[in-house]
Parts: sequence; C-alpha cells; structure tokens
Amino acid sequence: MESPMQIVSKVLPGIIAHIPQTLLYWFLPSVLALFFGALLCWARVSNRHRPLYWICTVVISFFRGTPGIVQIYIVFFGLPKLIWAIGYDVSDWTAGVYFVIATTLNLSCFMAETLRGGYLALDRGQVEAGLSIGFSRVQNFVHVIAPQTLKVALLNIKNLEIDVLKDTSVAYTIGAVEIMGYANRMISLRSGLGQLWILGTAAVIYFIMCTVLEVAFNLATRRISRFEGVSR
Amino acid sequence: MNLDVDFMISDMPTVVAALPSTLILSLDSMLWALVFALICGGAQLARVPVLDKVTLVINTFIKGIPLVVQLLFCYYAVPYVVKWFDGLMHRTYDPQHLPYFGAAVLALALNFGAYITDVVISSTRAIDRGQWESAYACGMTRFQALRRVVAPQIVVISLPNMTNYFIWLLKGTSLASIVNVVEMLTTARLSAADGYQFLEAYIDAAIIYWIVCAFIEWLSGRIYHSAGSYLLPPNASTA
Repeated sequence: MESPMQIVSKVLPGIIAHIPQTLLYWFLPSVLALFFGALLCWARVSNRHRPLYWICTVVISFFRGTPGIVQIYIVFFGLPKLIWAIGYDVSDWTAGVYFVIATTLNLSCFMAETLRGGYLALDRGQVEAGLSIGFSRVQNFVHVIAPQTLKVALLNIKNLEIDVLKDTSVAYTIGAVEIMGYANRMISLRSGLGQLWILGTAAVIYFIMCTVLEVAFNLATRRISRFEGVSR
Repeated sequence: MNLDVDFMISDMPTVVAALPSTLILSLDSMLWALVFALICGGAQLARVPVLDKVTLVINTFIKGIPLVVQLLFCYYAVPYVVKWFDGLMHRTYDPQHLPYFGAAVLALALNFGAYITDVVISSTRAIDRGQWESAYACGMTRFQALRRVVAPQIVVISLPNMTNYFIWLLKGTSLASIVNVVEMLTTARLSAADGYQFLEAYIDAAIIYWIVCAFIEWLSGRIYHSAGSYLLPPNASTA
C-alpha cells in the first residue's frame, strides 16, 4: 500500500507535463472567440441586415442554451460527416481539434453577448466625438470603441475565461489528453488505486492555474481603467 | 451529409422521457446549493467568527476547480463514504447499487452553492439600510424585519442571477452522465448505441435542452416583471 505522498509524487510530474496541453486548449478558443465573438456582436448591434441579425440571434441562443458537453459531442460526431460530405478526409484529426472547434463556437457566442453588453454601455457621445475630430471608422473603432468596450466587458470576460480554463477538463470525454485526461488515464492504469489523491492533485493544479489567470485579469483591469477619474 | 432524420424523430420521445430525471437532478442540486449558499452567505454577512473565513476559503477553492473534477471526486469517494456509514442507523448498503445520484447532487450543489453564495451576499447588500431601519422603527425584531421586509426583496432582486445559475446548473447536469447517473444525455447515448446514431441522438438532446432553457428564461422574465414591478420608476409600464 502506497502512502498518499508517494502517489502524489508519482503523478505530479505527469500532470505538470500536461499543463501546456490544457493551456493550448484554453488559449486557442479564447483568441479565436475574441475574433468571432466580435463579428457576431457586430452583426447584432449594427442591425443593418435583418436576416443576419436573426441568424446570429438564433445561433447565439442555441449555443448558450445547450450544455457544452453536448456541443462537443455534436461537433465530434457531426463535423467529420459534414466535411466528408464535402469530400475531405479528416480521420487523422485528433480529438483536441474537435474540442477546440466546439469550444470556439461556444465561447464566441458568450463572448458576443459580453462584448455587446460592453458596447451598449458605451456612451454614444464618445463615438460622435471620435468621428467629429476626423477619425475614420476603423480609427474610431481602434482608438475609441474597442478600448472602452473592453473596459466595461473585462470583468465578464475574466469570468468567461476562467470558465473556459476549467471546461478544458471536459475534453477528456472525447479522448483528448490534457490534465484531466492524464489523471483519468493514471486512474485506470492503477486500477483506481489512490484515485482520490490523483484527482485532488489535479484539482490543486487547476486551482493554481485559475488563481494565476484571475490575478492576471485583475492587473489588466487595473491597467485598462488607469485613466478612470482623470478626465472627469 | 447523411443525417438520419427518421431516427431523430423516432428517438425524440425516448430522450424526452428522460427529461424528468434531468429536472429532478437539477432541482435537487439547486435546493441543496441554496441551503449551502444560505449557510455560507449568512455566515459571511453576519460575520460569524471563524465560520465566515472557513466558508470563504472553501468557496474560493471550489470556484477554482472544474465541475468535472468535483463530480469524479464525489463519484470515486462514494464507496469509501458508504463503507464508513455502513451499519450506522441499522442501514446496510448494497455495493451493487451505490448512491451515485446523491454523489452527483453533492458535487453540483457544492459547485453552484459557491457561486450562489455571491448572489445571496450581493443581493442582501443591495437592500437599502433604510428598509431595515424602518422595519425596526415599526417595532419589528431582527428576524421579523428579515422575514417580512428584507427577505422578500432579496428574493426579487436575486431572481435574474438565480435563474442564470439555475440554467448553468441544468446544463451542468449533463456532465453527470460521465459518472453513471442516468439523465437525459445518458439516455440519448444509450438509445443511440444500437445503430451508432450518436449524432442524431445528441442533436435531439440539444434541442430539448435549448427549449427547456429558453422556457425557464422566459418564465423567469415574466415573474421578475410582475414581482419586481415595484423596482420600476412610477408609470414606467404606461410609458
């Protein structure tokens, strides 16, 4: 019978070695979702194309109203069929690819709503002021709209990102190997011996990662709102 | 794209039949999450010595851990706990029928209880101090003021956030399918195993989750609109 310390010291190096995988599954969807979420958000707030508006609304409602694990399963089983119909063979894609695609779709919709909240909180006068001093629409977006939208939305984005980091653990259900996948494989390899200690180790690692992410976002919030109170 | 639409339609009743088990799991977990949140929130609001710090640490830790890890932890811990309780109160457990449902409820309740604690605290702090003071001025005790004046307002103010977390919880119950709890997703998977029509069954499940979540959101909006009408500025409904 191994002592808990022996079990932990045996699985800890492996778990730490899989942190990059987890970070990759967190980082890729986050970056992609910021882009696609902004597009979805633009489609909903610009309100110039009614069909586009309704399509985006329905898509966002679907991805927000169904569990992430169901979306992952649907992408995992459905996407190969869809691409097969077009004529490509994707049998060599790993499970991680499907997880990243599903999470990107899911997160984009949440991100779109978060950004929309920030955009709607933006004072109309700011947009007009930017245009009045001769900014082009792109300049206005980069220098006026984007920073202020982000400032308002950053708290919610932080919560979203922490959720995404935690939800990478679902990836193991379709066979992607990250921290949870490794922990699960160790549990089966050891026939369940010391399973609570292995899970506990993984939990502590996740907790540390979430804490680091939270601190980083808090620093970013402080930086982005450093002009707060100066102008008024 | 060869989507088996016939199977999707014929499988729908099977998946819908499992909706009650998902709802029971959600409501059970929500109930215990509320109990947990009220204890933690109460301890932190009333600044109970030691207990407020302990609950804060527990909640912070829970919020930093994925729900999957918590579910698996509770799932794997069941045999140990059952063995420990065996013989207590003349109860004996059959090792072939372990209470995995209870384990899932515990994990979900602790996870969402930690989040709902924040809702309880923030909505209590959102109540104007004048409400307490006017209740005291009418001669009410602390408990009477809470029950008759403050608590009803807390319920209304916290309703939108509570609904959000309940929908999260409902979606989170789908994760219970990985710890041997038979709910909607498990049923969908089992019903599809014969013909390997997983995609169709999962789409069925997704549609039902979507409808249920949309319905809950609509219902909560209606309730909030009527119960929270006092929060609107005067004549806002006519404007």
